[in-house]
Amino acid sequence: MKAEKIDRVRRRLLAEAVADNLATIQGLPPRALRTQRRLLQTWLRRAPLVLVPLMFVAFMRVEGRGSRVEAIAIETRPPAEASIIESPRSTNSQTLRSNRDTQRAALGALETPLAPVTTAAFPLSVRRVVLDAGHGGSDPGATRLALIEKHVTLDIGDRLRRKLEANGFEVVVTRSEDETVPLRERARLANASRADIFVSIHVNALLKHTAAHGVETYYLGPTNDPALTNLAATENRGSGYSLADMRKLLDGVYADARRDESRELAGAVQKHLHDGLSTAAPGLENWGVKRAPFVVLVATDMPAVLAEVGCISNEREAAMLTRPEYRQRIADALYAGISSYASANDAPQKKGT
Amino acid sequence: MPKPEILHVGIDLGTSRSAISASNGERFVVDSFVGWPVDMVAKKVLKRNVLIGHDAVANRTMLDLHRPLERGLLKEGSEKDVEAVRELLRHLLGLVGVSTNGKVAPGSVRAVVGVPAAALRTNKQYLRNTMKGIVDSLMIVSEPFAVAYGLDALLHTLIIDIGAGTSDFCVMKGRYPTEEDQRTLTIAGDSIDTHLLQLMEERFPQANVTVFMVRDWKEKNSFVGEPKQRVTVTAPVKGVPTELDITNEIRAACETLLAPTIETMLDLLSRVEPEFQERVRNNIILSGGGGLIRGLPQALEDALKQVGGGRVTYMEDPVFVGSDGGLALANDAPESDWEKLSA
Repeated sequence: MKAEKIDRVRRRLLAEAVADNLATIQGLPPRALRTQRRLLQTWLRRAPLVLVPLMFVAFMRVEGRGSRVEAIAIETRPPAEASIIESPRSTNSQTLRSNRDTQRAALGALETPLAPVTTAAFPLSVRRVVLDAGHGGSDPGATRLALIEKHVTLDIGDRLRRKLEANGFEVVVTRSEDETVPLRERARLANASRADIFVSIHVNALLKHTAAHGVETYYLGPTNDPALTNLAATENRGSGYSLADMRKLLDGVYADARRDESRELAGAVQKHLHDGLSTAAPGLENWGVKRAPFVVLVATDMPAVLAEVGCISNEREAAMLTRPEYRQRIADALYAGISSYASANDAPQKKGT
Repeated sequence: MPKPEILHVGIDLGTSRSAISASNGERFVVDSFVGWPVDMVAKKVLKRNVLIGHDAVANRTMLDLHRPLERGLLKEGSEKDVEAVRELLRHLLGLVGVSTNGKVAPGSVRAVVGVPAAALRTNKQYLRNTMKGIVDSLMIVSEPFAVAYGLDALLHTLIIDIGAGTSDFCVMKGRYPTEEDQRTLTIAGDSIDTHLLQLMEERFPQANVTVFMVRDWKEKNSFVGEPKQRVTVTAPVKGVPTELDITNEIRAACETLLAPTIETMLDLLSRVEPEFQERVRNNIILSGGGGLIRGLPQALEDALKQVGGGRVTYMEDPVFVGSDGGLALANDAPESDWEKLSA
């Protein structure tokens, strides 16, 4: 490379290094994320230019078709009141009144304090499941002698996939072999597949508490526990996001319905995981459902959980994890949890049919 | 009033060793250990309030010993570890002539510090907070980037920097590396030590061996592939100094590094634009203490044969290559940038 070109490249790299440091000082997210934010902000700024004319056209169409508004009004009223309006064809005054009623109702709704969205309003069934076998490739995860987390999670994931498919679920896996798949790529894959839920499989390692063995399930949420923060930082290593970036990202996520659904899913998975394994692993502790900001939980669009299905640091449990029948038992327990959550979501639909 | 003398420094803050290179020509490396006397007796014997580096390791029985870095990053949560890293930094700066009453005051130091490629922004913020008051201005960069910058290996180069806590990989494409260009593995020097200790305990259960001993043996005898000679060490077995042949154990422990290193190297190479892959394959630079493992460059070149061959260059001076790169960055950064980066 010519000296002049080297100097030019050096100057540019130096400027970029300084810019990166300034971004860190200012607490800005990584560059890739800022681009996305800028796109979102641009979209939000320009959205009214598109949405306002569309709303105006829609309003004019409603004005011209009072009977359609009336029909909507009938559907939203109690049955007795609806039957009064239903019999005669609409007059202009009735149309006007029903329009005003509708508008008043809409304004009233705006004035009412916002309540959390309950997912019971959306009785959707779970059909497509993303299974994420933790670690892989150059990232071995936790290890104990010849036992490596990436192999254990892949095997359990494969067993769970077969079980889910045999029972009518569609399954998307983030990895099907021992390969390196970055965390962001896993989340991207899950979002692109438009799956209903996301289940990430991991194995715990508590190097300072080797006698401890238990199971726990995480869903997305803030935590004040330094141990969980460290765990999330370890699992998120290589994602390109810091925990500070995550917290900013999460501001808008923690309060939504997805978190509640994730908690439900985590509860179902944790219950079945502990119930299903405690007979084979006496003394297995139930460490419960916990919140932590793992990247795969933040960046996925659907209810998402991360299950720590065992403790590789515990000698006895590590020995059990080497046995295929125990890994099958874990897969069965995870299936039971997913199935239980899916059944609960299907319930309102089934009642109505 | 004369203008205070500005000193530029590059610091490779490592899990095992930390190196500093300064614009006044001074270069030092110290073990990343800090210890405080455990009691008054120890303080009287040692005649110091704090010991750093080799002194700390040598006198560890009398010290509250801290190794403040883990996987190339500052340990968080313990005030003692924060204080340890501040002592370590003060010591490094003191070695190159910085002191409150010396020619160069801390307020006149501009430092570039290398951190693992996968360090998060919170890690960098934490380091920045820790260095407040120790230096005037601070720039934090990924360690392999500092290496590349120091070597002018800015384009079509793969840097593999194997340290104690992490192995960092970075493909230089003539731009500031993004997360896609870099990888960090936690399989590095420390994991070799742990593995070697485990193998020793299995093979020689009666021997009394510590991690400090195996680290020393590894640094003197590490290799992969066929041994050139038998590796024998002396360790107490039931209290009696005994010669032990650890050739197979050293080899097995060092070779745990091979598979993940090769896989990561090939994975990063496969992501380079096809027309540049050959150039990058022939321009791989091995740095850090891991570069001293005998046979490692050859083993990597053997692995490259499956993708058309390549060349791995081993740095003769791997210990200072990171801090020298940091110093080059510090020297090149304009005054206006340093003003923005005050610590």
